[in-house]
Parts: sequence; structure tokens; C-alpha cells
Amino acid sequence: MSESNVPSASDSPSSPAPKRERKPTPARFLVSPVTLWIDFLMTWVIKVGGIGVIVAVIGIMVFITWQVLPLFSGASIQPHDEVKMTMPNPAVVGMDEWGELPFAYDGDRTFEFYDAHGKNPPQKVTIALPEGEKVTATRYFPEKYSLVIATDKGNVGQIKVRYDAEYKDGRRTVVGRAELGTLEPLIDLPAEAAAEANPATASPAPAPGTPAPATPGSETPAAPAPAPTPATAAVAAQTSTKITVIDRGAGESNALVGAILKVGEKRELRAITFKAKRSIRGAGKMTLDQRYDLTGQLKAAPAQLLVPSTADALIVADDSGQVSYFFQDGDKFELRQSFQPFADSTGSKAIARMDFIFGDVSIVFSGENGQSRVFSLCIPAENNPEQKRIFALTKEFPPLAGPATFFASSQRNKAFLTGSGKQASLRYTTTETIRWEKNLDFDIRQGIIGAKYENLAFLDASNVLHVYELHDPHPEAGFNAFFGKLWYEGLAGPEYSYQSTGGTDEFEPKLSLIPLIWGSIKGTLCALIFAVPIALTAAIYTSQFLDPNLKRIVKPTMEIMASLPSVVLGFLAALWVAPRVADRVPSLLLILVLITLCPLLFGWIWNKIPKIYRLWMRPGWEWSLMLPLLVVLCVIGWNLGPYFEEIAFVYVDPNTGQRYADFGLWWKHTTGGGYDQRNSMVVGFMMGFAVIPIIFTIAEDSLSNVPAGLRSASLALGATRWQTAWEVVLPIASAGIFSALMIGLGRAVGETMIVVMATGNTPLMDFNLFSGMRTLSANIAVELPEAPQFSTHYRVLFLGALLLFLLTFVVNTLAEFLRNHLREKYKGI
Amino acid sequence: MSKNPEIKAVGTAFQSGSRAGENFVWLTSMGLAIGLTLVTSLLALILWEGLTVFWPQRVAVFQLVDGSTAGIAGKTTLAGEVVDYRTKVNHVIGKAFEQEYQLFVGNKDTYGFNFKFVDANAIKSKEYLNDYIVAERLENGRLIGVPVAIAMKDGSTIPANSPEFAHKLEEMVTGYNAQRAKILRIEKYRIGDINYEMEGLRLQEKGVRRRAAGDKAKEEAGLAPIREREAQLKKEYEVLAAEAKALRDGLVGNNLVLRLAGGEEYRQPIGAMLEFYYPNQLGFFGKVSMFFHRMWNFVSQDPREANTEGGIFPAIFGTFVMTLLMSVAVTPFGVIAAVYLREYAKQGVVVQLVRISVNNLAGVPSIVYGVFGLGFFVYFVGGNIDHWFFYESLPTPTVGTGGIMWAALTLSLLTLPVVIVATEEALAAVSRGTREAALACGASKWQTIQRVVLPSAAPGILTGLILAMARGAGEVAPLMLVGVVKLAPSLPLDTTFPFIHPERKFMHLGFHIYDLGFQSPDAEAAKPMVFATTLLLITLVVVLNLGAIMIRNHLRKKYAAGTF
Repeated sequence: MSESNVPSASDSPSSPAPKRERKPTPARFLVSPVTLWIDFLMTWVIKVGGIGVIVAVIGIMVFITWQVLPLFSGASIQPHDEVKMTMPNPAVVGMDEWGELPFAYDGDRTFEFYDAHGKNPPQKVTIALPEGEKVTATRYFPEKYSLVIATDKGNVGQIKVRYDAEYKDGRRTVVGRAELGTLEPLIDLPAEAAAEANPATASPAPAPGTPAPATPGSETPAAPAPAPTPATAAVAAQTSTKITVIDRGAGESNALVGAILKVGEKRELRAITFKAKRSIRGAGKMTLDQRYDLTGQLKAAPAQLLVPSTADALIVADDSGQVSYFFQDGDKFELRQSFQPFADSTGSKAIARMDFIFGDVSIVFSGENGQSRVFSLCIPAENNPEQKRIFALTKEFPPLAGPATFFASSQRNKAFLTGSGKQASLRYTTTETIRWEKNLDFDIRQGIIGAKYENLAFLDASNVLHVYELHDPHPEAGFNAFFGKLWYEGLAGPEYSYQSTGGTDEFEPKLSLIPLIWGSIKGTLCALIFAVPIALTAAIYTSQFLDPNLKRIVKPTMEIMASLPSVVLGFLAALWVAPRVADRVPSLLLILVLITLCPLLFGWIWNKIPKIYRLWMRPGWEWSLMLPLLVVLCVIGWNLGPYFEEIAFVYVDPNTGQRYADFGLWWKHTTGGGYDQRNSMVVGFMMGFAVIPIIFTIAEDSLSNVPAGLRSASLALGATRWQTAWEVVLPIASAGIFSALMIGLGRAVGETMIVVMATGNTPLMDFNLFSGMRTLSANIAVELPEAPQFSTHYRVLFLGALLLFLLTFVVNTLAEFLRNHLREKYKGI
Repeated sequence: MSKNPEIKAVGTAFQSGSRAGENFVWLTSMGLAIGLTLVTSLLALILWEGLTVFWPQRVAVFQLVDGSTAGIAGKTTLAGEVVDYRTKVNHVIGKAFEQEYQLFVGNKDTYGFNFKFVDANAIKSKEYLNDYIVAERLENGRLIGVPVAIAMKDGSTIPANSPEFAHKLEEMVTGYNAQRAKILRIEKYRIGDINYEMEGLRLQEKGVRRRAAGDKAKEEAGLAPIREREAQLKKEYEVLAAEAKALRDGLVGNNLVLRLAGGEEYRQPIGAMLEFYYPNQLGFFGKVSMFFHRMWNFVSQDPREANTEGGIFPAIFGTFVMTLLMSVAVTPFGVIAAVYLREYAKQGVVVQLVRISVNNLAGVPSIVYGVFGLGFFVYFVGGNIDHWFFYESLPTPTVGTGGIMWAALTLSLLTLPVVIVATEEALAAVSRGTREAALACGASKWQTIQRVVLPSAAPGILTGLILAMARGAGEVAPLMLVGVVKLAPSLPLDTTFPFIHPERKFMHLGFHIYDLGFQSPDAEAAKPMVFATTLLLITLVVVLNLGAIMIRNHLRKKYAAGTF
């Protein structure tokens, strides 16, 4: 193909071509079409390929950003179905996991299941409630698909709502069922008149107003609960006494039912505890343990009641807006805390609603004026002398338009749906953000969040259930979550905290990246503190004083260090250095001091000795004296360390009076910080191996590139070599040295394996040199293999990668510009 | 570039007696001394620790002082290889520092541990007895004890003091080793091939069912040949399995009876012994040959016992194949991009910006590339390929999970900037005159590049490629995300069709170090292996780097000499 070209090229000078212009060029002088064609093709291949590669490389950032973006988007909601409910004024509406078969419960004995797509007629289910008994109070637990009901005869029972898939003619249909468990006569309804007239004899339970703590009449627990005599029950049925609020919580081995009774005009608070009999096969059946009347401990009439799933407490709101937190302590209920969520409110302090957030640790209080506050159980540091677990105001949301008329909490995360009138608002507790808020076209009577957090439903005044599709894959994310200080459940105050996975469903992911960023900064600083002095002094010496013949060996040797795989450095740091150094910190400190001071001292003494001996040493070979000196100093420092420790770092055990020369103990008791074997100091030291050669090479280059004329001029004017280096060369090369530092920093920030291996990987935020840390890069390496694709966790790790990318990219670009600037500046000299 | 005048000037200033700041010169020289010491001591440490792993140690027998509780199970005799002799850390002021021995006592199945610390002052005497034997075993690490006899299957015994003992034991161990190799061949390759084919048939069956979509007749027709082949394979499998079982049964029965240091009797099945030697009888040359023998085993064998024993052949092989694939991927793209940037693109602000960006990508942390590789190659590309071509085996991913191909591609992205920058520099170094000469001779642009520019830039490109390979071979963090595993059941390149398996997970030297040092149940016992692996990896990386440096120096000389 290109053979034609070679002769033409060699022939052309010999031919007197340009004389006869009209004549066409002979074919042998023409470039072969194949050549032209290949040239054309290759031009395009290279252009397309080249641009493609560059785009692909830069596309890395685009791709990572694309993966991260969904974290910052809010919730979006699409209308999906409308279901007309035939039941007038349902007391409870609920929905199955898929949003296919919502149900309504009339608050007595009828359930109706509606096909969301309107294909099948509603299924009507009646529960087996004895004739003549009426349900007076219910509470629905969406996460368990169960209801607890209380009847006008003082019986309490549970209703289970079940969704069973059935196959008919090869098609899957979901059938809704509701079943009532056994009704237990738990609450004796006192006859109004009798209760008031003769408190002592009316019923086995203590009369209202009995001073706290209210325990059953007898000291011994009434194990098989004395059922209310038919007489009392009959009396109760005739009076206006009824249970108005009921709630139940069940733990592993205990359960608690709380109820508010209306006795005439008065209201009473009752609690009934259950215990599970322990057997070999785990917890057995719950049996009634004790009954309590807690009315006497309240200042006003109880209005609302919550029992957490731990079944060890009652949270009661009364008419005055006061909330009482009763905690079960052994066999009595202690009023642990009493607080007013809206004490600072200028208007009504009353509580419109109070509801648990998923996990039953936080309560959302809605005020009469639409305020929305979250109180969580924690052990606050302030105003809490006994260090008890009490409620504290942790979040405050923007107020609603009016008192909250409905509430639903998610069963997947800490989101809740609330609103007032037409307004609906989906909020996320942890991040204190509104995920979605809108005024709908109808008055909302009830709201539902689907079990999978994939749909929402609202019941309007005309009994139409509006089902919406909810698209909010990352509710727990957001700027606030990543970079803000948040008050997580159970913590004593707002914190930067990172803990992406937990053991339970109720776990609240803590996604603050600040501890990780801090870890990265800490590791980098440690590395730079160790590496910069060595790298820079070595660079200055190599470029200014070292024998140029040696430079050819020294530079590649240092570059070899740069190529050491970081996994090797990490392994050595963790398994070789850390255990050896753990007990030898004083030795290291001693060595540090010695190798800084001794060369200075050595140089000073060297200058004092007669010239004749000094000339023996060729300039540029000073380091060869330093090598043995270094070894000697290290040996001395290492062996003197324990004695130094006995002098400087002594810890006296206050109990035994025994004196310990132990740096770790001393550090713990003097600074209060921890002392780990794998600590920042070890990381800094090992990361130094990775950073030193980078800083050294670039700094040395920029120092060597300072025009020789400047140095010669300085020397010619009588400056000593140090003066020349310090006063002339260094200032000129400073930009280059700075860029060397930045590139070193970039390398240290992104270093992964050393940090993974040589630190404990705990996301701490402290200044302690002897504790571990977790860096952004290590966090990715440790957690990404386990993070499910497209989960919040996965995207958060991508966000970490994006931060690393941007950080190093910006730092490196800045360094590059500085270097270019320097190069341009001294081009002429 | 001669610096002689300066040196003279320095010398003059120095001699003239003006010595301001001279002590700072000494301080900076200390910086260099520290830097050099760090590199050399690190390399020396790895070299020493890595090589001594293979050197056979003598077994020391310690007699403890009477009544000492420092021994194992109350016995006062201990035997083991001395690993360390050090000063015990003691923080209580006023107590003297004491010395202690760290012994490798072996016999993990009897003692429950491999290492034992003994206070120096609990020891009455230390001697090296000739009759001690060290045996490598399939399980529970090394065995250290005094042989008593061979107890044969038929009840006869050969006492250790009979002249034929050592010879007989050697013969049996060698025989059993060959037998085990045979079992391995059957189980791993022949039965492995059958399993591979069976798996393929299972997928085919799934595909037939899906395509038939309920049509019974069509389904039956499609399934018939599959069933037939399946039955055939099953029959083959049974024959092979029976053969393997017979061989396996032949391994048991003959025992080596030993007396451990404390006097306990121990019976070791000879079928589970790999090799044995008398450490205290070995002369220098015996030790040297043992040293090389062990080194060879290390690089040629598969790992055993959760990677803490045996060799690292799969890791070497995995690293090699991955680096090779990476080079194959990175070279054309890197060179094309560099040629475009240097020869075709219009030099201006945009190209300068692109150049700086590409340059800076070399400084982006490797883990970021790993994240990208996982998100893009594994989940996005691999997931889609799975959907299009491997629908039958879903939800089990075929290529939608980490594999050697994705790892190689990820690392090639990581090393792309290195190659681009090196190639660009090499292209820039080709003198204008050379190019113009070619063009003047009538060569087209591509011809100039192809025949003149690229050949003269080749050594520079090679340098870049070698540096890229060195970086790629040592990188671990991104690999952890895209397909490296602690123990790969099969190699990415083997005798099963289609021979290259780019979707397979692989083992890697760097990850092996991480895994052994941090995930293994007994980090102390794994340490020698980690050091040996480290030595190998470091050697690989340093040799590659030295090669690159040498090529670079050679080039410098060449360009310095040749002026156009």
C-alpha cells in the first residue's frame, strides 16, 4: 500500500516536474489512494478514539455524580387509584403492603376490604364479637396489621387483619380477613355511683384518687386475674362508664395495656401488665400480672395515651397539655417525667395529637396551633441529675395550618405523614425536613403510609380513599443528614455521627460524613507532619548540596519508595510497626528530639574543629556521616525510652498507690483520650512512606529548576551555600514546593489500604494522636462491598467517592497551575 | 548541564571560612539520611523477613526448671523453633526487665495453639536434639516430635531406630503425595468439567422451558437431548467418583507414631503428611536445598488451610493475568489519546485544560476508580449484559458481579493517565526535524506517525506502560470492589472451554496480603506467609520500576547524544 510512496519520495527531486504545467502528474508521482484513504481513516480513528478516551475519563466524575444526585431530590407523589368506601365514617382505614386491598373498619364489628382497581366488589368481614357487646375504643398498629379493641364490658381483645394470596383459575387474588382473638376481661368498669360513694368496697381495684403508687389491693400479684363479677359488669354496662382510649405494647416477655376510662364526667387511667411464663421453648403465653390505677398521679384528666412496644412505660397527655411519662420499675409505675411540649406557646398549650414514630422512641406532638414537635427518649446531660432516660425536645418542624387532624408513621423509616384540613405533609424526623407538602383538593380525614413506603393514601370527607404512589427512595438523605449536626434517637444531643447499618429494623442510619472527612483530615495531617520535614530537608539537601554524581542514585531510590504498594505499607504498619511501637512511644519521642537536635549540634561542633580535618570531608557527602549518626541515635533513643518513660510518664494508681511507667495509661489519664495500638501516629508514620517520595521528587525538581545563574550570582557575592539555598533558591522555588505539598496531601487524603489496615476504623471525631479514625476512602473500601445497589447507603458511599474525587482534583489542579506559573515566571532567566 | 563551576564555588565559600548556616546543611543532610534509611530498612526488613520464612529452623528442646508452670499442660519439656527472643514489656516501676522466648511449638491439634511464650528465667537448659522431626501436614500446620515407629495397616511396625525407617517413611510419603495428586486431577478437572457441563445443561433446560411457554410437546422435544446428555454425564460422574473414593480409601491406615516434647504419644496418618525432615540433622547444604525447595513450593502450590499454609500460585497467576489484561486494554487507548492530544488536536487553551485534567486524574485516589468500576462496569454494563445474554441464570449474576475483566478495565482506567502522560512526553521528545524529514520525503501524516514518531517514542511509551503495570499490580483498594476474592475455586485461564473466563473472580497478591494479615483466624501463624507474599509483590513492583527507570535513563542518554 505505501510502497508506491517510497519511490515517489526518492524520485521526486530528480524529476524536473514544474516545467510542463498543463500535463497531468504522472501516476507514479501520485500518492496512492490507499495511503490517502488510510491516512483519512486513521485521522478519524485517532480523533474519535482520542476524544472518546478523554470523554470517558472525564465521564467518571459525571457517572459518580449521576449516582449521587438522587440523594438530594425530595419525594414525588403521583395519583394512583381512587377507592370509594361504602362504609360511612370508618374508624380505621388501612392498606396492605402492595396497596391493592385497602380496608375500612367501622369501629365495631365490621370490616370491608375494597379492591383498589375496582374490579371486585367489596368483601365484608364481620368479627366474632359476642352479641350485645359494643366496641368503645380501638387502636390500629399498621406494622403488625393488628388492632386492639376495648368493649363496653371492659373486655380487651386483639383483631388480626390478614391478607392471604389465593389462586383461583391460575390467577392470584388477595383475600382480606379479620379475626378477633380471645376477649379478656381486663378492665373492671367501676359503677359510677358506687365508685364515688364507697371507694373501698366497689371493686377489687383501688378507687380513683388513691395516692400513688397505685398497686392492686393485695400485695401478692393477683396471678389469675379475678374476673369482674357479673354483678359489677352488669352495673358498669348500665352506667355511662366506658373505655375511651386503649393502647397495648408487647415485648419479648412482657406486655402492657393502657386505657383511659370515662367514668361519668371524670376520666381515669389504668394500666395492666402481663408476664410471659418462661419455659424451655422460649417465652410462653402472656398471663396477667397486675393492674394499676394511675389516675392519682395525674394533675388533670387524661386525654391521650401511648404505650411503647417495649411495654414498660405509659405516656399520657392530659387536658392541660401536660405529658406524664410513667416508667414501670419492678412492680410499680414511677412518674419519671412530666413536661409540657408547648409550654412556650402563647395560645393554647393543649396537645391535638401525639403519636409514636417508627421504633417507639420518639413522639410527635401536634399542638392546637399546628405546631409540630418531636420529643425523643434520651439521657440528656443537662437538667438530668440522675442520668435517667427521659424525653427531650429533639426536633421542631414548621407548623401546620392548624391542629393536626391525621397522622401516620412509616413502618420502614422515621418518616411520618400529618396534616390539617386540606394540607398534607410528609416529614422525616431524623433530618428534620419536609419531604413533601401540598394542599390537596379535599379535606383529609385520615392518612396512611404504605408498609413499603411506596404509597400514601388519604381518606376524604366523602369516604373516597385517594391512593398515591410515593417515590422517595432516600428519605434519610439530604444535605442536613450528610453535613449537619443531628440529634439522633437515644443520643444526648446533636452530633456528627456516622453509623450506616444497625442490627434492628428500627435502626436509624446516621449518615453524617463529617466524622469521615475529619478522619481523612486527621490522617493526612499526621502523614504530612511526619513526611514534610523529612521530604523537604531531603529535597533541599539533594538539590543544593548533594554531590551531583550521587543524585542519579538517590532520586531513583526515593522513587522506588513511591512505588511500594500501599497494602504492603498497611500490613507493615499494622502487624509490624504498631505492636512494636505500642509500648515505645517515649522512645520515639526521644528519637525525634535527638535526630532534630543532634545534626544541628554536630554541624556546630564540626565548624569548631580545625579546617584541616574539615577539608577531609568532601562537600556533598555530609549525609554519609549522618547515616551512622542516625543509627546510633535511634539505638540510643530506643533503649533510653523506658527510662525516659519512668521519669516523664508515670501513672500512679489511686487505689493501690502502685506507680506505672506506662505512656498509654498516662496519656489516658492525663488527656482523657483513648490509647489504641493502631493509632493515628502509626498511620501517619506509614503514610509518610507513601507521601515522602512524592513531595521529595516534586520539590527537588522545582528546587533544581531554579536557574543556575541565580545561585552562582549569590555564591559569587559571598553568600554561603546555606544562605544561597535559604535566601535565594527556596523563595523562588516556593510555589513549586507548595505544589509538592499539595500533591502529597492529595495522595494522603485518598490513601486507602494503609488506613484500612492500620486504624481501628472507628468514625471518631477527636484530636487525639493516639486514637484511630475512619477516613472517607477506608469507609468506601470497608462498606461498599456490602451495600445493596441503589440503596441510600450505596449512594452515600458514592457521595464519599465524589468528595474525594473533587478534593484531590481541585488540589492537584491548583498545584499544577502553581507549577506552571513558576515555570513561566523563570522561563527567561 | 555541568555543575562543576557551582561546586567549585561552594567549595570556595566553604574554605573561605564563612560558615553561616552550616549546621542547617547538616540538618538537611539528616533529612536525606532518614529518607534513605527508611527506604533501605523497609526493603531490607521485607527481604529478611520474607526470605527467612523459607529457611529451615532448628528445633530447640527446652528443659524448664522443676515445677515451672510455663510449659504446656504442666510438662517441663518444650520443643519448638525459636521465633523471637525479646525483652518483656514491664510497666511497673522498680521491676527489672525480663527476657522471653517466643516458640513455634506446632502440633496445633494437640496443643490448641501454635506459639508459646516462655520466660527466659524459667528455662533450665536448651539443646538441639538430632532425633526431632518436623512434618508438613494437610491439616493443623506443622508437626514437631520424635518419631517412634511406623504402624502399618496390617499391624506390623517399623521402629524408628531400624535402618530402613527413614527410607520407608520417605517412600510412603512420596507415594501418597502422588496418589493425592491423582485424586485432585480426577476431582478438580474431570469431575469439574462434568459439573461445568451440567450447569450449562441446567441453563439450557431453563431456556427451553421459557421458550416453550407452556407448550408441553415443544418442551418435551427440547428437553429430550438435554436429558440424554445429563444421564450420560451422571454415569461418567459415578465412575469417576468411585475411582476417587477408592484412591482416597487407600490413603488411610498407615500411621506414624511420634512422641511429642512433653512425652505424649501422637499418631499421624501418613496419608495426610506432605513432607518431613530432621531439622537438627540438616547441614548447610541441606538447609539451602530445603530453602529452595520450600520457595518453589510456595510459588507453585495452591494455598491450604484458609490460605495460611501452602503456596500462592493462584494469586500469582491472578495478578499476572489481570495485569496483562489491563495492559492490553490500557495501551491502545492511552496511546491513541496521547497521539490525538499531541499530534492531531489543535493546541490551545482547551487542549491544555484537558492535559491538566488528565494529568490530575493520576492523582485521584484509586478507591474512586474502584467505586466507578463497581457502579459502571459491574452493575451498569455487567447488569445489562446479564439481562441481554444470560437471562437464564438470573437472578444469579454472570457478569453482573465482580470479575477479572472488570478489575482489569477498572485498573486500566486508573493507569490510563500514567500512560497518556508518558506517551505525550515521549511524543514531544521526538524532534521536529525527524518529523519534517519524514513529511518532506512525502510521507502522509499517519505514515509519519506510524513509521517515524511512534517507533522513536516507543521506549518512552514502554516506560509509561511499565510504570502503569507496576501501579496496577500493587493496587488493592479498587480490586476489593470489583472482583478479587480470598480464595478463587478456579483460575481465570484454564483447560475448560472457552479457556479464558473473564467473568471469573480471581486471587491477587496484594489482596492476599490484606486478607492473610487481617481476615485470617490466626494472624500470628499467617505472618510468615504474608511476609513471603509481600516479598514477592515488592520484588515484582520494584523490578518493574527499576526497569522503567533504566529505560528512562537509557533514553535520556540517547536523546542527549542525538541532536538533529
